Amino acid sequence: MNVAKKLKIDTVLRPEVLVIGAGGAGLRCAAQICECRPGTSIIAVTKVYSPQKSHTSAAQGGMAAVDSKDPVDKIVYHMFDTWKGSDCSADQNIIKKVCESGWEQIVWLERHGMHFSRTEEGRIAKRPFGGHMLNFGRVKAFRACYEADRTGKGIMDTVWGESLKHGVVFLNQSVATELIFKNGRCIGAVVFVEQSGKFVAVLAKATIMATGGKARMYQVTSNCRQNTGDGLAMILQAGLPVMDLDAVQFHPTGIVGPGILASEALRGEGGILRNEDGERFMERYAPTAKDLAPRDLVSRCIMTEIREGRGCVHPDHKLPHVWLDLRHIPEHIHKTRIQEVSGFFRRFVGTDPQKELCPVTPTAHYQMGGAPTNEFGEVQDDARQIVPGLYACGEFAAASLHGYNRLGTNSLLELITMGKVVGDSVAAYIEDTKDPSAIPEDAGGRVFAQFAAYLEAQGKECYAEIRDALRVVMMEKVGVFRNEKGLTEAIEELKELKDRAGRMKLSSKSLVMNQELMQFWELDNLLDISMVIARCALARKESRGAHYREDYPERSPEFQHHTLACMTEYGKVELGKRPIDMSIYKAKGKHHKKFGIIERKY
Amino acid sequence: MPQEYDLTLKISRYDPDTRRSWIQDYHLKAGRILRFVDLFRKINDEQDPTLAWRSSCEHGQCGTCGMKINGKPLLTCELLVERAVGLFKTHTFNVEPLTAARVIRDLAVDLENAYERVHFVKPYIIARAATHPDGDEYRISPRTLDAYVEATRCINCFCCATACVTQRNYLGPNAVLANIVRLMDPRETAKEKRLDILYGEQGIPRCRTARACSFVCPKEIDIAHFIALAKEGAFRPEPSSTR
Ligand SMILES: Cc1cc2nc3c(=O)[nH]c(=O)nc-3n(C[C@H](O)[C@H](O)[C@H](O)COP(=O)(O)OP(=O)(O)OC[C@H]3O[C@@H](n4cnc5c(N)ncnc54)[C@H](O)[C@@H]3O)c2cc1C
Ligand code: SF4
Ligand code: SF4
Repeated sequence: MNVAKKLKIDTVLRPEVLVIGAGGAGLRCAAQICECRPGTSIIAVTKVYSPQKSHTSAAQGGMAAVDSKDPVDKIVYHMFDTWKGSDCSADQNIIKKVCESGWEQIVWLERHGMHFSRTEEGRIAKRPFGGHMLNFGRVKAFRACYEADRTGKGIMDTVWGESLKHGVVFLNQSVATELIFKNGRCIGAVVFVEQSGKFVAVLAKATIMATGGKARMYQVTSNCRQNTGDGLAMILQAGLPVMDLDAVQFHPTGIVGPGILASEALRGEGGILRNEDGERFMERYAPTAKDLAPRDLVSRCIMTEIREGRGCVHPDHKLPHVWLDLRHIPEHIHKTRIQEVSGFFRRFVGTDPQKELCPVTPTAHYQMGGAPTNEFGEVQDDARQIVPGLYACGEFAAASLHGYNRLGTNSLLELITMGKVVGDSVAAYIEDTKDPSAIPEDAGGRVFAQFAAYLEAQGKECYAEIRDALRVVMMEKVGVFRNEKGLTEAIEELKELKDRAGRMKLSSKSLVMNQELMQFWELDNLLDISMVIARCALARKESRGAHYREDYPERSPEFQHHTLACMTEYGKVELGKRPIDMSIYKAKGKHHKKFGIIERKY
Repeated sequence: MPQEYDLTLKISRYDPDTRRSWIQDYHLKAGRILRFVDLFRKINDEQDPTLAWRSSCEHGQCGTCGMKINGKPLLTCELLVERAVGLFKTHTFNVEPLTAARVIRDLAVDLENAYERVHFVKPYIIARAATHPDGDEYRISPRTLDAYVEATRCINCFCCATACVTQRNYLGPNAVLANIVRLMDPRETAKEKRLDILYGEQGIPRCRTARACSFVCPKEIDIAHFIALAKEGAFRPEPSSTR
């Protein structure tokens, strides 16, 4: 009768390649492997019903890329914008690789059927996007290729279609739970199949991790329900480091409730932020740029208003917020240029933006950090040695293209460029690598113990309370604003929450499609990642990109490095450093001075 | 307009362990702009953690949270309490899983299985036309694209397939649509193969032109329009005009 004792590996599957996470990055990679090496057997695992449901499908804006034949825009401008945007903390070897191969990858997508929006001449249309400029920051560049307001869906459909075409096998509604190693080499993972409630071991020559974003530990987030940091938790549990986790990007105007982005375009067309008293508060903070100041600044101003008691609290969603006023914008602009986004307010909060104020609040949007890799997507350990057989790409990985701050449209670009790079690396690696032989005795041991603990736990702690407490403490103390006192308190609170999480009792002990069981596991992952974020943020006594310390508001040369973090036991985080690659600067090329330590000013 | 509603959700439940099905009533109070997904979360948090339901992006972009509310298939992340009350003129809602696939547990259905029909129509370019001589992208005029761009917006939520009057041996509106996209896409050359699928055994001969699909599509795609074009024989392969 005891379910916990029965946990075991039910089946062993043996493809050549295992892809954990079938989003844009994972499947671009899978498609590349199949193109390089037709007939490669690949299993791709995803938490959702079908790869098409992965969060890449929700991205709207576009994907930046410069065609080397472009008469106006130049690749070096794009590289500069990325470097500057990152607050001098991205790796220049990655910037170069990604920006130089961007256009080629756009063409790849187009040839494989993506429905890009077109110019009159029938070519791929481009639009401007924040932070992307011509001539080293002078005029805005038309650089983002897009498919209407569903660029991510276009990418997802294309790479998913190609993977189907090549016969990639999918394990849907399944979660990877533990990596399997043999003599230091990664040989696959233990996967829990929700629908059958069984564990399978997937043994492969190479394992690629591409589990995407991980921002569900924040009270308001644009991330999907599945972005619970499972992949990173697996990395930490394997004793491997994660990098720059404290770099979390907030978008200033998330729609209260669902956290959906109300794009900058609304403020671009004249939208005004107002506090509870109706005051246009941005005038006080940024007299010139006002509502159009950079994302991180606007987020901080909104949070200041809220903290100083000039925000509102939403009666239904119980969230603090300010208002976005679009009422004065002429009808024809509402009807043409901002129709889609202003429609979100109608659809998701029942507000008519032409007549009513719209509730907005900063939303956790993107995590720049992740599993550290080199420029080939090979995962590194804390001594920066490669872990054989283990690769990473997409939002999950930190190569790092974004450093401490990502430019809009650079993430989708990273998925397809680095996805391809990793595909090439893997195709070469498996060529002369043997299949893993037997499955190690102890494979799954850790996750079985973890699941057994959930199944056997007794106690009166409530999952929803712990989850909500986590999301509030992260938002308030490890969010837009950080300081020593808040972070120290947050770390203590997290320890307490982790402790309480061990006393949650399952209502049903079924293993089949047991949503509550999955949530317990996801909560543990979120708690783990949150602790690392808080620890890294406490150690980084400076402000850089998205990481803002009230007690250290300036960037400091002392922290001109990436942060590596391993967690040996809960709350005990060991920090290390990885130098930032400055190869463009060091190559002393024509514009190399632009790639030195420069100010991030707009 | 009340700020809070007293609601009753009559939810269809199914337990795969005991194979038992039943309808369970949940009473809850909810603010006017909570969405149905928020209500399910509230039920999980406050009343019953065992109720299973699926969602992902909750932005209306992924098509995971489709269900039947008072018989109408829709995306529950987009359905606000206030709107539901207005639409159905009641505070009591029957919540059922989509019928396009087998139920796994409660409101979670085996969409993975339903996807087989989409896979069957090969949602990719089977055989590419010759590429542009300069090595870059194909040239597709905005007019050409406009003719089928609506059909590319489908997110495979299977609401239409649930509403469709033909439930047997039919690919279903969304899979048919996916096939039509590539019939209209000038980059695809395998038109014959696609026409075979379109007019085949499980293709549009099964469609009874009831337009239920267009009526329920949360993306407001006029699926029946594309099916009508197919019935008129509009997708004859033309000499390649992609250059
Ligand atoms: C609303 C929104 C708008 C955005 N707009 C833009 C934009 O305009 N431009 C831009 O460049 N970027 C944008 N971004 C960012 C960008 O979309 C994401 O960074 C990117 O799509 C992530 O892709 P991915 O392939 O790494 O991960 P995802 O697409 O999230 O895929 C992750 C995959 O991993 C699976 N997975 C997760 N955990 C597990 C596990 N434990 N086991 C098995 N599988 C697992 C998931 O099911 C999924 O299949 C946006 C993001 C959001 C949220
Ligand atoms: S056509 Fe509409 S209703 Fe049907 S699956 Fe696509 S988006 Fe859903
Ligand atoms: S028009 Fe055809 S596809 Fe649409 S609902 Fe009716 S029978 Fe089904």
